[in-house]
Amino acid sequence: MVYSIKTIRKLILTTGTVLALSLGSTQFTAAAEFPEKPVEMTVLFGGTAQTISQLLADLMSRNLPQSVVAVSRTGGGGAVGYSHVQGTAPDGYNIVWNSNSVSTAYHRGNMPFNYEAFTPIARISTEVPALAVRANSGWGSLADMVKGVKASDKKLKVGISGNGSFTHLTSAALFANLGIADKVVYVPYGKGKAPVELLADRVDVAVQWPGQFIPHQKSGDLSILCVTSMKRISVLPDTVTCDEAGASGLDITMWRGLAAPKGTPAAVIEKLESAAKAAIESGEFVEASNNIGFTIAYLPADQFGELIASDDAKISNLMSDLGLKK
Amino acid sequence: METLLAVLPLVLDPLTLGLIVVGTLIGIVFGSIPGLTYSMALVLVLPITFGFDTVPAIGMLLGAYIGGMTGGSVSAILIGIPGTPSAAATVLDGYPLAKNGRAGLALGTAVVVSAFGGLFSLAVMIVSVDFVARMAIRFGPAEIFALVLFGMSTICGLAGKSLLRGMIAGTIGLLLMTIGMDELDGVPRMTFGTTSMLQGVHLLVAMVGLFAVPQVMSVLVNYKSGSQASYRTEAVKTELPSLRQLGSNWSVMIRSALIGTGIGSIPGTGGPVAAFLAYDHARRFSPDKEKFGKGQLSGVVAPETANNAVTGGAMIPLLSLGIPGDPATAIILGGLLIHGLAPGPMLFIEHKVEVYTVYLAIGVAYISVVLIQYFGIRLFVKILRVPPHILAVGILVVCTIGTFAIRNSFLDVYVMTGVGLIGYLLNRFRIPVTPIVLGLVLGGSLEREFRTAMILSEGSLDIFYTSPLVLFFFGLVIAVLTFQLVGERRERAKPKSNVQESAHAES
Repeated sequence: MVYSIKTIRKLILTTGTVLALSLGSTQFTAAAEFPEKPVEMTVLFGGTAQTISQLLADLMSRNLPQSVVAVSRTGGGGAVGYSHVQGTAPDGYNIVWNSNSVSTAYHRGNMPFNYEAFTPIARISTEVPALAVRANSGWGSLADMVKGVKASDKKLKVGISGNGSFTHLTSAALFANLGIADKVVYVPYGKGKAPVELLADRVDVAVQWPGQFIPHQKSGDLSILCVTSMKRISVLPDTVTCDEAGASGLDITMWRGLAAPKGTPAAVIEKLESAAKAAIESGEFVEASNNIGFTIAYLPADQFGELIASDDAKISNLMSDLGLKK
Repeated sequence: METLLAVLPLVLDPLTLGLIVVGTLIGIVFGSIPGLTYSMALVLVLPITFGFDTVPAIGMLLGAYIGGMTGGSVSAILIGIPGTPSAAATVLDGYPLAKNGRAGLALGTAVVVSAFGGLFSLAVMIVSVDFVARMAIRFGPAEIFALVLFGMSTICGLAGKSLLRGMIAGTIGLLLMTIGMDELDGVPRMTFGTTSMLQGVHLLVAMVGLFAVPQVMSVLVNYKSGSQASYRTEAVKTELPSLRQLGSNWSVMIRSALIGTGIGSIPGTGGPVAAFLAYDHARRFSPDKEKFGKGQLSGVVAPETANNAVTGGAMIPLLSLGIPGDPATAIILGGLLIHGLAPGPMLFIEHKVEVYTVYLAIGVAYISVVLIQYFGIRLFVKILRVPPHILAVGILVVCTIGTFAIRNSFLDVYVMTGVGLIGYLLNRFRIPVTPIVLGLVLGGSLEREFRTAMILSEGSLDIFYTSPLVLFFFGLVIAVLTFQLVGERRERAKPKSNVQESAHAES
């Protein structure tokens, strides 16, 4: 069979039109009826971060016509998961359960893009590091500890999660504020072992998350001297802030939230934002926050964005002071 | 005792009982498929438990954990690919047993001794949780380093005739483990500047590659050349070990259970180390050392008892100190937290009922493991009737899916293939691959604990010879190495019959 030029041209034109029409229509429905397939929530860390994300995904699914699935992509201090989500299409089907790690991973030089590669959806929760010592250390307050360190010629051993981790940055800021930065040795422990190392008398102080200390404070083995936020936290209403205890002006809080690749349509972000809001207002999430020991702290997308930017500047300064910035 | 009676109806409630059994079943399925692990089973089960009360939720999680720990032996024995890292040592004798047509016996024994190990550690946990937790605290970075080094010394037992070849393999494992982001300083290593390599070589991915790929390749190569190795499938039937067989392994079981419980209670070591140490000690103290690696039943008994004894051991620091020993217990910790149970010394005072629930649920889970596996074995062994070349293709497919699913990373599939090709070459040079697994399992802790110890001591090596525990384990390492070197020398001095044998192997 021989086609004339005209027939071929006609064929191409029709195919083109059909294609254009069909593409146009799918785009149209996608925007109108998001989500029409499951949304993948990339989780960057194991442990409680993963537990919270699974609950959040479960609850968000109830407020959306499709389910939200928590998928773990760990490694590189979050860099592996951020890179995956950053590389996906900005259509809202790939979101990331993010945290301040977006700043630490970037400034550490582990990924080539920073927080600006993402559009914020909502802040979900905050966690505040706490400082604890052994109950029999003789240090009843932060001031006692500072006095003790200054009087001794030995260095203070501080258990943290890892060099460059959030608890390390927090400790560095705290001890610089207290004027004893040069008398501190940081001992990095992975996997939440620092409280036990403190119990065993191998370190003098540990800076970790309150949930890890509370059971040992109740049993009378450890005492929590302060928390690093400006305001006291709900799980420890009687514990003073480090600011009250002498580290004036210290205000460090880790947040967790949701973000999508930059360029995700505003309408899609809005849907995810309201689904997240409904999820964290549910009784189950409130109960989980009490049990696990984090604070629910919803912030809408725009305010969340401002917070990420200001925290990024803070972390950048802190990391260059510590010589951790690449 | 009163609490126990109070808890009994809670655990024997049909819903709770049902959920424990379902959890166990999920665990066994995930554990027995190479590449899918009990960690994954736990991640899958966790959201299901959100909707339940505390008791059934904990029961289901524990069921999945325990089912997964025992499931690993199924594929290790039947197809020579460990379903979980903890079952890597089971391959050494379990797989030869299956090849000799004793798959049913090997599987039956694995189940029985698994339950024994698990219940033994449970008893230890109930009686002495306080004491063991206090002992576990004494293991700081220097002590764990020494213990891990002792674990590395089992390479001697795995190396076969040549310690040098074993060391080469162990070093390959250690080197592979350094790829990715360094845990302490967050510095990228051997990543060639890429982000995707930051995730490093996952233990499970490498393990599946090392065991599955070379086997699949050689099956297919043999099929092409017509010299198909066939199993003696006609003889396969379900066979539980006789009391006499168990009786003759009685002391191995007790010792392995003690090793497992002890290792399990020290965070950061876990199942694989316990299994290898138990295997190595069983071989070392056995009157017929020569039979190990060729289908010796004790070679299945030791690692399977030990890796399940780890479950009870690992519960001790988890419940009393709140530190998870491995990724799987970390997920259980999440589950406990979400249901309002904060582990720690207060748990045993404030939540006595839930603690007893944990005890009972572990017991029930082991009973269901035995029942499920007893009937399951009849099904499992059918896999051996599949012609090897077709089975090989199926294995490859499952392994690909499994390795991808671990971290949803396709790079992991490439890594599995690459490591597998290396494994095939090493097989050709008669370098054993099991020490590579050991290097991969232990490399991370070996490095981390050494560096943390050095930071703690502010750069002084004193920390390694001032602690009696450290010296004890160093002593064991030296003893094992001496035994091995003396043994090798004696072997060489033996009359010619041996030379002939090795010449035969060379051809």
